[in-house]
Amino acid sequence: MNAQELDEAYTRLCYALTDAGESRTPMILARLALLLMQEVGDAARIGRAIDAALAEPPRA
Amino acid sequence: METTFSEYFPYVHHAASRPATVRDGADGRRHPVVVAGGGPTGLALALGLSIHGVPVVVLEADDTVCSGSRAGAFTRRTFEILERLGIVGQVMADGLGWRTGWTYWRDREVFRFDMPHDENQKYPPAISHLQNWIEQLMVEEAGRRGDIDIRWQSRVAGLAQDSAGVRLEVASPAGDYALQADWVVACDGGRSTVRGLLGLPMTGMRYEGRYVIIDVRMDTEGLPAGRRCWFDPPSKPGGTLLMYKKPNGMVRFDYQLNEEDDEALEMQPERVFAQVDAHLRMLGLARKWEPVWMSLYRASALTLERYLHGRVLFAGDAAHLVPIFGVRGMNSAVDDAHNLAWKLAYVARGLAQPALLETYSAERVYAARENHRYAMKGAEFMAPPSRPFRLMRDAVLSLAERHPALAQLANPRQHSAIPLAASPLNAFPERSAGFAAGPAPGWILPECPLRHAGRDTHLTSLLGPHFTAFWFGEADAAPRIETPLPLEVVAIPPAEDVTGRLYPLYGAVPGTLYLVRPDGHVLARWRQAAPAEIAAALARARAPAPATA
Repeated sequence: MNAQELDEAYTRLCYALTDAGESRTPMILARLALLLMQEVGDAARIGRAIDAALAEPPRA
Repeated sequence: METTFSEYFPYVHHAASRPATVRDGADGRRHPVVVAGGGPTGLALALGLSIHGVPVVVLEADDTVCSGSRAGAFTRRTFEILERLGIVGQVMADGLGWRTGWTYWRDREVFRFDMPHDENQKYPPAISHLQNWIEQLMVEEAGRRGDIDIRWQSRVAGLAQDSAGVRLEVASPAGDYALQADWVVACDGGRSTVRGLLGLPMTGMRYEGRYVIIDVRMDTEGLPAGRRCWFDPPSKPGGTLLMYKKPNGMVRFDYQLNEEDDEALEMQPERVFAQVDAHLRMLGLARKWEPVWMSLYRASALTLERYLHGRVLFAGDAAHLVPIFGVRGMNSAVDDAHNLAWKLAYVARGLAQPALLETYSAERVYAARENHRYAMKGAEFMAPPSRPFRLMRDAVLSLAERHPALAQLANPRQHSAIPLAASPLNAFPERSAGFAAGPAPGWILPECPLRHAGRDTHLTSLLGPHFTAFWFGEADAAPRIETPLPLEVVAIPPAEDVTGRLYPLYGAVPGTLYLVRPDGHVLARWRQAAPAEIAAALARARAPAPATA
C-alpha cells in the first residue's frame, strides 16, 4: 500500500464514520479491528499492533 | 472583519485622477482590455497583457496596494510566472526561502515534511513573503512598462455588455465617467463587484471553520523559515495554530476558532494579542512585538461554473475561493492570470479566435476544482468536519511520532501547478504516448539546468512571450515551421545538456520536439518532429473548436 492508497482508505473510513454517526463509531471501529485481525492472520503481528495502540505517546 | 494597526511598509498613496481622454462624462478612447481590480491577479494580468503587446487600463478602488497582506506563502510555479513578468529577482531577494514544515502535537514534534526539491531546480519550493510587497513590485514594474494605466480610487459602478464590447460606469472622487472596452476582466476579489453586477452564483462548499490571522512585527532572529503547525498545543488546548516567519522582521499566526466561540468577542484585539502572547511564552520567546494587521476568514471552496461570460472574464478570487490550507489562493490566481494573458492578448490582436478564451475558462475551472479537492483534504485534517474525523485525526497525531508511515496522513499537500491533462488545446496525444519520460501535453516543464548559447541557464528561462519549440538537436537541422503566431524555435544540441539529465528527463533523442505554450504548458510533443503536425497544432490553438458542453 503506497501513501496515496493509505490516504484514500483513511479518508473513506472518516467519511463512512461520519455518515454512520458518532454513537455507532466505536462499534464500527471494533468490527474493523476484528476484520483486520483476520486479514493479518499473524498473532505476533496483531499482538505488536495492540501494544502499539495501547502505548502512551512519548512525553516531552 | 479586519483591523490594520500599521502599514507593512510605507505605502504610496495614489491620487484619484481623471484621465485626459474623459469628456462629457465618458472616456473618449475605446480600450482593448480593462481590468477591474488592481490586486495581485489584476496586476499580474496587466503585466502579462503588456508583455504580449496589449495596453491595459486597471481600475483599482483603493488608493494603495492591499493594506493587509493576505497571501503569505508562494510556490515554485509562481516564481516561474513572476520571472516572466520581470519581477522575480526582487521577490526572491526579499522573500524567505523554505522547504520544511514541522507538525507538533501538544508539545512534541511528530512529523516533518520536506517539499519536493532537487539539484535541477532554479528556485526553492516555497518562500514566505508579503502579498502587498509583491503587489508594490508589480505596480512599479507596470510604471516602467508605460502602457499600463492604473486608475486608483476608481470603482466599477455599472456594467452593460453586448456582442461587440462592454460599457463600464466608473465612480471616482475625481468625477464619474463611462468607459468602453472590447474585453473586461474581473480581478476584483472574493466580493467581486463585477460578479455581483452580472448576478453570477458560485457553487461548492462553504466550511463552517473560522480562522483568526494576525501579522506581528518582532525580532525573528533564530526562528526557522517554514510552516510550523501545532495541534492541541498548551498555548491553545484543543485548537490548531500555524506560525510562519515572514520577511521584514514579521511573524504570522493563524488559528481556528471553536464552534461555540463568539467572533465579535474573539476578534477583540486584546483576545488575539493574549493568544499570541501565550504561544510565544510556550516557545520561550519573551520578545516584544507589535501588531500590524489582523483579520477573520472562513474556509470556502467555491467557484463560478464558467469564467467567460460574453465579453467579461473572471480570474483569481473573483472566479473562485479556495480554503487557505495548501496556499492555493494567490498562487492559483497568478496562474489564472498567466493562462489568460497570452490568450486574451492574441484575441485582442486578432491572432486567434475568441474561442481560445473558452479554453481559459475550461482549463482554469478544472484547476480550481483540483485545487478544491487538494485543499479539502488539507481542511479535513486541519479542521475536522465531524467528530469521527477528529477522532481519526487525533489517532494519527498520537501515533505519528513512532509510526512515520502514518504521519504522512498529516502532510498538508502544498500548492503546485495543476496539470491540464484534459485541456482542449492538447494536441496529438497519440504522438505523446511514445515517450518514456517527460511532460505530456497539458503539463508544465520540469526544470533542468543546461548550457545554452554559451551561458549556464535553466530550461524554463528560455521561455518567452511566444510559443516555444524546443528542438532536441543541432540548430542547423531544426525544422522550419510556418505559423502567424509568435513562435521561437530553440535548438538544444546534445552538447548543451551538460549535466546529462535534460535529454533523459524529457525522454528526448536527437529529433525530438516539445511545442510549449506561452504560459509554459506543453501543447504537444513528438519523438521525431513532424513539421506539418506542428503547424496543425498551432493552427488549432489559433482557432479551437468551440466548446460543445
